[in-house]
Amino acid sequence: MSLNRRTFLLSTAAVMALNAYAPDIALAQAAPERGGTLRVAIDQAVSVLHPLLSRVNPEYLAAELLYSGLTRLSVSMQAEPDLATEWDANETLTEWTFKLRDNLKFHDGAACTSADVVASFEAILNPDFASPARNNVGPIEKIEAVDPLTVKFILSTPYADLPVALAYNNARIVPASVIANNFESLRLEANGTGPFKLVSYEPDRLVVVERNPDYYDSARPHVDRVELRVFPDLGAQVSSLIAGDIDLVATVEPNDFMRLEGEDGIDALRAASGQFCNVNFGTDIAPFNDARVRRALALCIDRDAMVDFMTEGYGIKGNDTPLNESYAFFKALPQREANLEEAKRLLAEAGMPDGFEAELIASDRPAIRTQLAIALREMAKEIGVTINVRTMPHATYLDQVWTKGAFYIGFYNMQPTPDGIFKLLFTSDAAWNETRWNNKQFDALIEEARGILDADKRTEIYTKAQELMFEDVPSLIPAFFDVLGAKRAWMHDYAIHPRASVFRLDFAWLDANSPTRAS
Amino acid sequence: MSASYILKRVALIFYTLLVVSLLVFGITQVLPADAAVMMLGENATADALEALRNSMGLNDPVWLQYLRWIGGVLQGDFGTSLRTGQQVGPALFSALGTSLMLAVFSLAFMLVLALPAGILAAIRRGKLTDLLVSFLSYIGVALPEFVTATLAVLFIADWWGILPPAGYVPLSQDLAGGLRHLVLPVAVVSIIMIAHVSRMVRSELVDVLHTDYIRAAHLKGLSRSRILFRHGLRNALLPTITIVALDVGYLLGGVIVVEEIFSIPGIGRALMAAIQARDLPVIQAGVLIMAATYCIVNFAADLMYAWLDKRIQYD
Repeated sequence: MSLNRRTFLLSTAAVMALNAYAPDIALAQAAPERGGTLRVAIDQAVSVLHPLLSRVNPEYLAAELLYSGLTRLSVSMQAEPDLATEWDANETLTEWTFKLRDNLKFHDGAACTSADVVASFEAILNPDFASPARNNVGPIEKIEAVDPLTVKFILSTPYADLPVALAYNNARIVPASVIANNFESLRLEANGTGPFKLVSYEPDRLVVVERNPDYYDSARPHVDRVELRVFPDLGAQVSSLIAGDIDLVATVEPNDFMRLEGEDGIDALRAASGQFCNVNFGTDIAPFNDARVRRALALCIDRDAMVDFMTEGYGIKGNDTPLNESYAFFKALPQREANLEEAKRLLAEAGMPDGFEAELIASDRPAIRTQLAIALREMAKEIGVTINVRTMPHATYLDQVWTKGAFYIGFYNMQPTPDGIFKLLFTSDAAWNETRWNNKQFDALIEEARGILDADKRTEIYTKAQELMFEDVPSLIPAFFDVLGAKRAWMHDYAIHPRASVFRLDFAWLDANSPTRAS
Repeated sequence: MSASYILKRVALIFYTLLVVSLLVFGITQVLPADAAVMMLGENATADALEALRNSMGLNDPVWLQYLRWIGGVLQGDFGTSLRTGQQVGPALFSALGTSLMLAVFSLAFMLVLALPAGILAAIRRGKLTDLLVSFLSYIGVALPEFVTATLAVLFIADWWGILPPAGYVPLSQDLAGGLRHLVLPVAVVSIIMIAHVSRMVRSELVDVLHTDYIRAAHLKGLSRSRILFRHGLRNALLPTITIVALDVGYLLGGVIVVEEIFSIPGIGRALMAAIQARDLPVIQAGVLIMAATYCIVNFAADLMYAWLDKRIQYD
């Protein structure tokens, strides 16, 4: 069969159809070529190089290049082998055993064994080290080294999602000797088992890494070097991509995305995601302690308009629960739409037929928070509620409003599992219990699902949990954002990750058209 | 100009810096949120905050924190950044070097254009050249740098692809590449300064050219160029020196927008990042370094005054 345009289109269509079902397998379609320097634009400084302490996406990226975890997160949010090749749990899901790869080496040549894994997790769980991973790696009570290549996690409660939770951005393995002697040294130097080694580190300008010849998979990474270049101005990132000075922009704003979609030689990348901007109610503070008031506000929102206004169309409607199709174990509830009559009736029933006045606080970072606040202000006018929007610097917000306020805007990345997002924000023991909703029935459901492997049963339980949130509205979630990025066409095998904080650049490669391959 | 005068001025500079350091320390104490809150961000739990504050020394009394800091500075140790863990001194001096390089190039470029433009406008006062220079300077003053920078990137980099849109390459690493990356930021920064310096040169020169001694020089039969450059300009330039000295301050701290847009790791951006992260040692040292530079440049301007105009006597 000769290859003409039609058969070519057909075959690409087939490949694309295949991709839709198996996004991870798609990474194997063309043979990767070796070499070149991958230049990545990031929008914030890599202020923290320490893998256990990093907290923003560019820092997670640097940590991911230099370090490995036991597992890693695939684009479809599954746990994949990283340092561990296989794992197993006991019947009750309270004891998990992980097998490590043979012959693992840190960048300094020392062996990486179960002792390092144990020490790393003990550091993560040690409150003195203040690692953000502490709240995110699951209910670990104890971790032991069974033999040099086997570690066992003993949990305080059953937890089916442990392998996924262990792929958390900060759950990286560092040498036990460093933890014991010089934990702080990892802020300026790196010693991991990751695909790349650190060459130079200037927090506000440039981080350079080069291939780790001792990486456990000799086929990867494909590129010789990666440069993370800090571009604080989002427009400048896009201009540099168009100019061919960089190969990948990790995150792109919707208006820049539109501009890039038509550019030759550039692939605009987009993935549906569970990322959202929400309105948090302090459910213990009047008037938001009345569920009817919260539901009334939920009913005044024109959600189609919200998707247009907040995401420029690159997103989907939310239903006041943090889950959507991007999550596993998800079943859609009937979509809530605007119903002003019902909203007014609820307000009257709550004793406020003429509405009320409230101050809605929005941090200035990212700007989308203010956008949501202003949109809600306009929509709430329709039911007689007067909202005064107050924006403030992010520092002031974190100090004075966050997790304390009665009515403010939140912004969250997608979590790997439903359990992850519920336990982060909405259960009574949530790490960031912003709404103080403290619904015992909801807590029990989330806890129950943790002990179940059966997908249908978990879906059923999480649907019940969603129904409780939908009814009681501890938080307004009007829209979800797609995650947007862009790369040059000469860069291959990079898929934008719905979690926005995972990059997997060891799989990426540059073809001969890239300017750094020639030199 | 006596030695005791210079000594007095140097002492005054140190006194100024002391006051500045106290002021900045005071202000940062009043700001909401501290470095621990900013480090942990939305991962802050009460015990994590406490642990981090202890390790950063933020729980010590304020005066102790200040004394510890100033003690270090007097020994040449600016401490370590709470945000990155790096040594503050080397990081900031490297940022200062980058800013100074941008400043020197911009000043040079500005003077090369602004001086002739101002002189031309003055000697052709009221003619088309004068109007044109005035018109262009008004445009230069009226356009803020975030507008000119964005336009420059859009036209020169995006559409015509002549120059790289953003990024910074140290000249020591790659001279040609570094210079190419400097063209747009230098042009953008210069435009604003060209406007006010050329206007200043023009108005001063117009005043000077109307004085009696210039008329006397004409009557004496001196050549026009000798009158203009040797007698006119020498006096007209005095206020310009003040303006340029003030511009150095602007170039160090005020071009932060340009540094952000073109991703230049200068001291303005370093300070901005430090303020956002409540990174006290860097804020302190950054302000101190900028204040010191400012003091030194102004001191140098005063000395240059005395050198250019022998009538000025300091004592």
